[in-house]
Amino acid sequence: MEKKTTVGIADMKIIRQEGVLITYALGSCIGVSFYDPVLKLGALLHIMLPERGNDANLLKYADSGVKETLRKLHAFGAVKSRMICKIAGGAKMFEMKGPGGLGNIGERNAQSVKRALMAEGLRVSSEDTGANYARTMLLDVGNGKVSIRSAGKPEKFL
Amino acid sequence: MNNYQEMNEIQLDLLKELGSIGGGNAATALSSILGTKVNMALPKVEMLGFNEALALLGDPEEVIAAILVEMSGGVEGIMLFLLSKEFSDEILYRMLNKPPVDLFELDEIDISGLTEIGNIVISSYVTAMSSLSSVEMELSVPQFAVNMLGGIMSMPMAMMGQYSDQIMMITGEFQIDGKALHSDMLLLPDVRSLEVLMKKLGVN
Repeated sequence: MEKKTTVGIADMKIIRQEGVLITYALGSCIGVSFYDPVLKLGALLHIMLPERGNDANLLKYADSGVKETLRKLHAFGAVKSRMICKIAGGAKMFEMKGPGGLGNIGERNAQSVKRALMAEGLRVSSEDTGANYARTMLLDVGNGKVSIRSAGKPEKFL
Repeated sequence: MNNYQEMNEIQLDLLKELGSIGGGNAATALSSILGTKVNMALPKVEMLGFNEALALLGDPEEVIAAILVEMSGGVEGIMLFLLSKEFSDEILYRMLNKPPVDLFELDEIDISGLTEIGNIVISSYVTAMSSLSSVEMELSVPQFAVNMLGGIMSMPMAMMGQYSDQIMMITGEFQIDGKALHSDMLLLPDVRSLEVLMKKLGVN
């Protein structure tokens, strides 16, 4: 049995060599996996909102979360040009108006993550976003495989 | 008030009382639809981080049914009625005489029945709160979803999480005919609305 490390909401974990990073039931939130295959170094980030105001919680937001994750990965020796990034989540579970026009929060989260990655010279190599269902995202740092589990659907590899 | 943590004991007690009156009213409404005794356990007011809030509600991957209504007007926030499969089965059996069914296999009649139940229960809850506090509250059209608990909670949490790293949940669980089948009635008030509510109720 592979060792699993759980990533919560507004949270990020880094592991290397072996083990699986897992974040459960992404709805409108986004899971972003970062993987350097040479070092077998992986990170999984779970953000909740698109843009950071002046909140101290960096991992809650797409823009600051991506930046903070890359800063930490860099400290572990990760090289940006080798980095493989994948994203999942950004679903719309309900049609909501919400305060602050947050009704399309999932879509805005996805766009914000992509923008933040692009600003760092990174692109999303594959994604499973949108629609109206939750996704559990796993990153196996032994081989870099990213899989998606959804209720009532077969497992999917990104 | 900018943060849920700034609330004092008296304010929390008052919210519990509101939840209790709202929940009692909702239980009465559910009881008259189902034609059986329905109680609501004493509500709890919880202020928790996102991960703790989710852990309290259950397994994030558990598939549940949910009815969501947005509140606007004097109080902004979200009302969410979460039904486990067992709870949904019990309601569908009592209303439509249906055998247990997988939540993904619900047909249109099941869905509209459950949505209507959710709507009535939520409206009764909010009406009681509104008349007690004399704060006008408008409700959106109810929406129904079946999915993983974590996914269902993500949008409400994101909305409440815009201004805080904690969310406030006023929770209550229904018992049908003495049976504790898992369900949760959640009131998620926007932190800025709480002030309005407290002022109207004469607590500062």
